[in-house]
Amino acid sequence: MTTIIHETTTRPDAPATRRPRGLLLDPGMNLTLRPMRYPAFYDRYRAAIRNTWTVEEVDLHSDLSDLHRLSDAERHLVNRLVAFFATGDTIVANNLVLNLYRHVNAPEARLYLSRQLFEEATHVQFYLTLLDTYLPDPDERARAFDAVENIPSIRAKAQFCYQWIDSLGDLDRLSTREDRRAFLLNLICFAACIEGLFFYGAFAYVYFLRSRGLLHGLASGTNWVFRDESMHMEFALDVVATVRAEEPDLVDAAFEADVRRMLADAVDVETSFAEDLLAGGVAGMTVADMRRYLEHVADRRLGQLGFTPLFGSTNPFSFLDLQDVQELSNFFERRVSSYRVAVEGSISFDEEF
Amino acid sequence: MRVRHRDGALEPVDVTRIVTAVARCADDLDQVDPLRVATRTIGGLYDGATTEELDRLSVQTAADLIGEEPQYSRLAARLLAGLIADEVAGQGITTFSSGIRYNHELGLVSDATARFVAAHAAELDVLVDMSADRRFEFFGMRTVHDRYLLRHPHTRLVVETPQHWLLRVTCGLARDVAEATELYRLLASLAYLPSSPTLFNAGTAHSQMSSCYLVDSPRDELESIYERYSQVARLSKFAGGIGIGFSRVRSRGALIRGTNGRSNGIVPWLRTLDASVAAVNQGGRRKGAACVYLETWHPDVEEFLELRDNTGEDARRTHNLNLAHWVPDLFMRRVHADEVWSLIDPDEVPELPDLWGADFEAAYLAAEAAGRFVRQLPARDLYTRMMRTLAQTGNGWMTFKDAANRTGNQTAEPGNVIHLSNLCTEILEVSSDTETAVCNLGSINLARHLVNADAEAGDNGADPADPAARMDWAALRATVRTAVTFLDRVIDINYYPTPEAAASNPRWRPIGLGVMGLQDVFFALRLPFDSEAARELSTRLAEEIALTALERSVELAREHGPHPAFAQTRAAQGVLHPDHFDVTPTQTARWAALRAAVATHGLRNCLLLAIAPTATIASIAGCYECIEPQVSNVFKRETLSGEFLQINGYLVNELKHRGLWTTAVRERIKAADGSVQSIDELPDDVRALFRTAWELPQRALIDMAAARMPYIDQSQSLNLFMADPNIGRLSSMYAHAWASGLKTTYYLRSRPATRIQQATVATSITQAVPSPSAAEAVACSLENPETCEACQ
Repeated sequence: MTTIIHETTTRPDAPATRRPRGLLLDPGMNLTLRPMRYPAFYDRYRAAIRNTWTVEEVDLHSDLSDLHRLSDAERHLVNRLVAFFATGDTIVANNLVLNLYRHVNAPEARLYLSRQLFEEATHVQFYLTLLDTYLPDPDERARAFDAVENIPSIRAKAQFCYQWIDSLGDLDRLSTREDRRAFLLNLICFAACIEGLFFYGAFAYVYFLRSRGLLHGLASGTNWVFRDESMHMEFALDVVATVRAEEPDLVDAAFEADVRRMLADAVDVETSFAEDLLAGGVAGMTVADMRRYLEHVADRRLGQLGFTPLFGSTNPFSFLDLQDVQELSNFFERRVSSYRVAVEGSISFDEEF
Repeated sequence: MRVRHRDGALEPVDVTRIVTAVARCADDLDQVDPLRVATRTIGGLYDGATTEELDRLSVQTAADLIGEEPQYSRLAARLLAGLIADEVAGQGITTFSSGIRYNHELGLVSDATARFVAAHAAELDVLVDMSADRRFEFFGMRTVHDRYLLRHPHTRLVVETPQHWLLRVTCGLARDVAEATELYRLLASLAYLPSSPTLFNAGTAHSQMSSCYLVDSPRDELESIYERYSQVARLSKFAGGIGIGFSRVRSRGALIRGTNGRSNGIVPWLRTLDASVAAVNQGGRRKGAACVYLETWHPDVEEFLELRDNTGEDARRTHNLNLAHWVPDLFMRRVHADEVWSLIDPDEVPELPDLWGADFEAAYLAAEAAGRFVRQLPARDLYTRMMRTLAQTGNGWMTFKDAANRTGNQTAEPGNVIHLSNLCTEILEVSSDTETAVCNLGSINLARHLVNADAEAGDNGADPADPAARMDWAALRATVRTAVTFLDRVIDINYYPTPEAAASNPRWRPIGLGVMGLQDVFFALRLPFDSEAARELSTRLAEEIALTALERSVELAREHGPHPAFAQTRAAQGVLHPDHFDVTPTQTARWAALRAAVATHGLRNCLLLAIAPTATIASIAGCYECIEPQVSNVFKRETLSGEFLQINGYLVNELKHRGLWTTAVRERIKAADGSVQSIDELPDDVRALFRTAWELPQRALIDMAAARMPYIDQSQSLNLFMADPNIGRLSSMYAHAWASGLKTTYYLRSRPATRIQQATVATSITQAVPSPSAAEAVACSLENPETCEACQ
């Protein structure tokens, strides 16, 4: 059995003869899990499984009464936001299938990506359920799901994403240095700009509303989505770091300039989205503050990639401090969300506790 | 920047006006900067915002600064109190009595309370102490505003101020102005609060004031099961929490003689209960909640364990129900001895739920010997599954049938059996098919019974050699006496939603007096939670409270007679709760006098003491919950009112004194999830004092609870904490809890497997904190803080 796997993974093109296990981006479908080349990816896979949640656990019951309490401006914000969520995760899932899974050639990494795909599906299901709950009118619902076509600020975000999906085109294999650079840019776009910036922007609105006591169902589901997304981003950045360690020459000044331009574009696109969302005037959240927050997040992403900051902005939203702090749930209010799935060990009566 | 006034006029926003308003609220808050609040508020505004939006934003702006400086919590509370006062006054309500009149006309206040207030309007109006609002923290004030104050049925505007609310509650319980004065002053000082149902409903047209109902298992027939659903719904409607047994209902596969079919067991019935509980909305304030108790010999126990799993067939899951095991000693002994355990159908041996101790064991062993079991399995296999469910869901609470009945005051005669505990595992009272046990609760805020309780948090000259000297024992006794008086009063004027509840409560008259703010006391006196001095003080407090409560109950018995079922209690035979334990109380003379008085006059209440979780009322009082250690030095609360940052004020003062309250240190504490163990600048003893529940040995929590057990005649809502649980440590821990004589335990709290990447902490810190794997989380646990690298 092992022999067969080795045969199928032996690449015909030359460099592999010196490195029999190959590089992460070498084309192919490596099936060998032992010895494991990237145990950190496998650990991430297992950690993700411990975070399993289901849409049925999210309690949307108080949201419906909150929706009636919202001002017109706030309702506009919520509708736009949910419309973005409805399509955002689908785009990420598509890129995962079309590009990442194909090119990241390590079975342990593909285990993680499979898990991520499942999580993206859960997110899509969550926002589907949310839209069905929030928008009882079928026409309004259809318009929201079609946001990519008919809402310009969301269309602009989708176009930004497509630009980096299409840039990989129909590459079946990452044969050249240019191919691999294009792949890295795609990966960074999805990790740092889409999951790491667009979603972080969207989550900020949700947490802003929650800090005002609004839409707990949206917030508690989003909390779990956010937890998943931050893991996805960390995994992707881990892949970037691994590839850079294996092939240091891929990243040079020109590449860095591309990344900086990409993040600057993403901040602009997301700021336009903020202008749309906040058009009605929402006390406590301004476009200027939102932009500062996005710049701050973009700088963090650059920092995670080992680049210097672009903006030097600080986070203006103190309600986001709350997101970094452990929660203490009162079961009269809501369910405790922080339970775990895998527990190990066997019975004993003399362990310390 | 312009604001729109109520009359529609647009005017430029006036910074000075905001500064003045803030400064007026902050005269005693030296760290508050009014100009900063004003400019930040205006910065978040949009052109043309209304003045209401401006006012609300100023409250939020102050609240947003709490993370930097905790004094902003008081400021935000006071600004909010100002908004509430405006809202109430805007409806023409100027005094307490005029408010009661208004609210009576709206149908909100009861006739009796309206009459009482009308008769004593002048005396009651002068009682109102508006300055008492200044004691509130923001989260407490916000909670009061959003959930406790009465609202106009149509406009939804609040129609009472916080002090009017406390006085309304008082007038719902008091019989004359002297009583009202005594109770209102106690409530306004936040030294004692009755439980939420009393705070919601006292003085109103729906005076259901009890917290807990213990519903006996349905009989093993369809009609009884549906009758219980109806009972549970009616009890939930007015904010009661429900415990319900299910051990009498036959298991899956048992024969149904009427139709010659096979039963589907208890799970489908629990599904229906689950849906029913979720559907009941308690006056729009919170959802219904229930806990199901199942005895460990029931053949459906393994499916019961899976009810809260988030995987598997959803038709066999109950996401809203809490689950508890009603565990006999025999099971725990068999786990220890690694023996077999028999699952027995209640259809086959129906007497098991009504037996405990030697009688239970005789019946169980006889059934087992006769082969009348459904199947057998190693006791350890079942125990392992119980531990795993606790770790995975926090649910499946371990409560101990024999300890509960052996020490229960009501169980002297056969037939009077405790079949279950309540929603929060602190109430242990007998129930039957026709009697649903009821309990009303209240909790003493121990933090307000320190000498100089009003001094700033952590700012004290405690003598660690004699922590007891820092407690105000006379004030504590006075609080207990008032508390018992009015908890007992509730029994007479309460609205009972079902005949089963009305049948039980007047006979037994149980009450549940508990405490909150124990952690505050330990911080103020600088006692580490696991120190011997802390355990000693905690036990002395429990003894003092029990003794005073019993003394007061004897006085009430002398005035009104003992409770009707007194003759059936152990107390009537001369046995008081501490006698079940191997302890010698410290106040021997008082106990001796009490015994004599009980023999002469009896007791007005069969049970007096229970430590409830106090989740909401501790927030209102601004103290730590019940007997719990702090969960984190920095944490947030998520409630229906929003999210609230909570910072350990004692720690902040400590850091300020040491010049360490800086952005950098704050970020390090936040990055470490509220732990200070990595703050090397702090000496060891200070770090030991400010450990969190995750960092304390749980053995110390259990031993402290066991030490106070002789003085708690019901039980305690004892949460246990294990960041990264495994079966070995859990089985050791719960075996110790059982062996220590604890009657019940509550949630197992564990940490999320991974957490969201922090959004605001600088990346240089978070990058060093990968999502901890299981092994790293173990290294984080408090046995070895020095070797923990994950959070450095």
